[in-house]
Amino acid sequence: MEVSATYLLQLFMNGLMLGLIYALIAVGLALIFGVLEVINFAHGELLMLGGYAMALTLPLVGLSYWPSLLVAVIATSLVGVVLYEGFLRHIGQKEFERSILTTLGISMILLYGMQYLFTATPMMVDTAYGFDGVEIGSIRITLTRLIAGALSVAAFTGLYCLLKFTQFGRAMRAIAQNREAALMVGIKPRHVARNAVALAAALCGLAGAALVPIQLLHPAMGQAMIFKAFALVVIGGLGNMTGAIVVAIALGMIESWIGGFFSIVWQEGAIFVIMIVAVLLRPDGLFKRGSMRVG
Amino acid sequence: MSTYPKLEIIDLSAGYADVPIVRDFSTRLAPGSITTLIGGNGAGKSTLLRAIYGTNRWFAGQIVLDGEPIQQLGPAERLKRGVGFVPQGRCNFPQMTVAENLKMGCYTLPGRKHQAAIARVTEQFPMLKRKWSELAGNLSGGEQQVLETAMVLLTGPQLLLLDEPSLGLSPKTQAEVFAVAKEIAGAGVTVLVVEQNVHGALLVSDTAIVMELGRKFLEGPAREVRDDPRIREAYLGGNIKETIEE
Repeated sequence: MEVSATYLLQLFMNGLMLGLIYALIAVGLALIFGVLEVINFAHGELLMLGGYAMALTLPLVGLSYWPSLLVAVIATSLVGVVLYEGFLRHIGQKEFERSILTTLGISMILLYGMQYLFTATPMMVDTAYGFDGVEIGSIRITLTRLIAGALSVAAFTGLYCLLKFTQFGRAMRAIAQNREAALMVGIKPRHVARNAVALAAALCGLAGAALVPIQLLHPAMGQAMIFKAFALVVIGGLGNMTGAIVVAIALGMIESWIGGFFSIVWQEGAIFVIMIVAVLLRPDGLFKRGSMRVG
Repeated sequence: MSTYPKLEIIDLSAGYADVPIVRDFSTRLAPGSITTLIGGNGAGKSTLLRAIYGTNRWFAGQIVLDGEPIQQLGPAERLKRGVGFVPQGRCNFPQMTVAENLKMGCYTLPGRKHQAAIARVTEQFPMLKRKWSELAGNLSGGEQQVLETAMVLLTGPQLLLLDEPSLGLSPKTQAEVFAVAKEIAGAGVTVLVVEQNVHGALLVSDTAIVMELGRKFLEGPAREVRDDPRIREAYLGGNIKETIEE
């Protein structure tokens, strides 16, 4: 196979975009884990719902991208609130089995419910941007990919500022670091937990909405994501946000390069090989384990 | 001292899960007074403090703050009414800086009041200013205790509950902690403190309550409780007289 610089650059760009999407999901998962001590196995379905919300809104607004994206983010965030108020709120911190069974159950119900409503047939989602693109040097990138990348970076920046500089975000880190101290200063854990789930769901909605103009939309799209995202969160050092983002982007790159040079099936297994090796060698993850460390 | 109590506890039973630890407990705390809770391990001292702040389970009885029952309220609501609780040992946000921890202490205050409130406690505890950008988890035990007390003082409590504030501290730092408690009470705050250093705590207290197996065993002016032969035998190691007169 002829390997040109253009091809390598293309792989790099694809990997970066993919990694950023993974990071959006992993960060939300880490956020929910940090605040609620629950691993939300329905997290991938939030991404899928975001994708469907985007796909269903687009035809209603003349295929325009931004209003549909906004609707998708808000809708997914509301699903997050329902998820919290309806289910997660009733699960105690140490009830690990209940949390797994509940979120896994919700994941399945959403997956097959959407399959019933929309069939399992993958859908192409078209936006007003179509296949418009920009030439960067010798490669061409579609606008929708470029926007997806920029939105992810903007979302991380926003999240970082929120967690670092606002009482709203600091309260989330506070609960993750010491629940009793959070009560001591008057933080209401339930309000903060609901905010965290809504925020994490909004990030998933954003990821799903930005992803569907690039990839095919189907009800199982979240399934593949969740286990990868979980692996990313573990490798990144449970609860370490920066760690999760770095590992997610690295994974996007690795998958893209493996896909570019080997059979595509190797791509899907890479993360799990890395996870097992990482867990054996560094039980606490590659990065310092931390209760929602941000930087 | 004014005649009506800051806090009145009437026949309180509280604990965890299914069993009350504290049973039929009653007392009254005068405004601006310091009261020490004494008792062996498992006597229910910490359980009583948690019950007053609302972080464990209430079974029966009343907790009356400024004439209003508060036993049905959550901790955040009690905090709003002026109850502050510094739990035992390392109760801060270890991976946040001292500055961020103090910011969290301002959680219930409106934004415009944060700066003045933080300036006030850093003046009271200059160490906080020196360690401003350090992670709380990297401070010494005594410094963390000061930070935690400062975080609760930021909320502006009128009733301050301290659980073992001198635990694990050097004798010198312990003395500082008691001086701080005295100073806080001097400003009109009612203080209820659980202490393992019974001697040090009794020296600064007005009243002492002795608990045994979840019930009140004895209550009286700190001086009288200190001189009670049963208490000297059980908690003060007998030779208290000499130590006090040093």
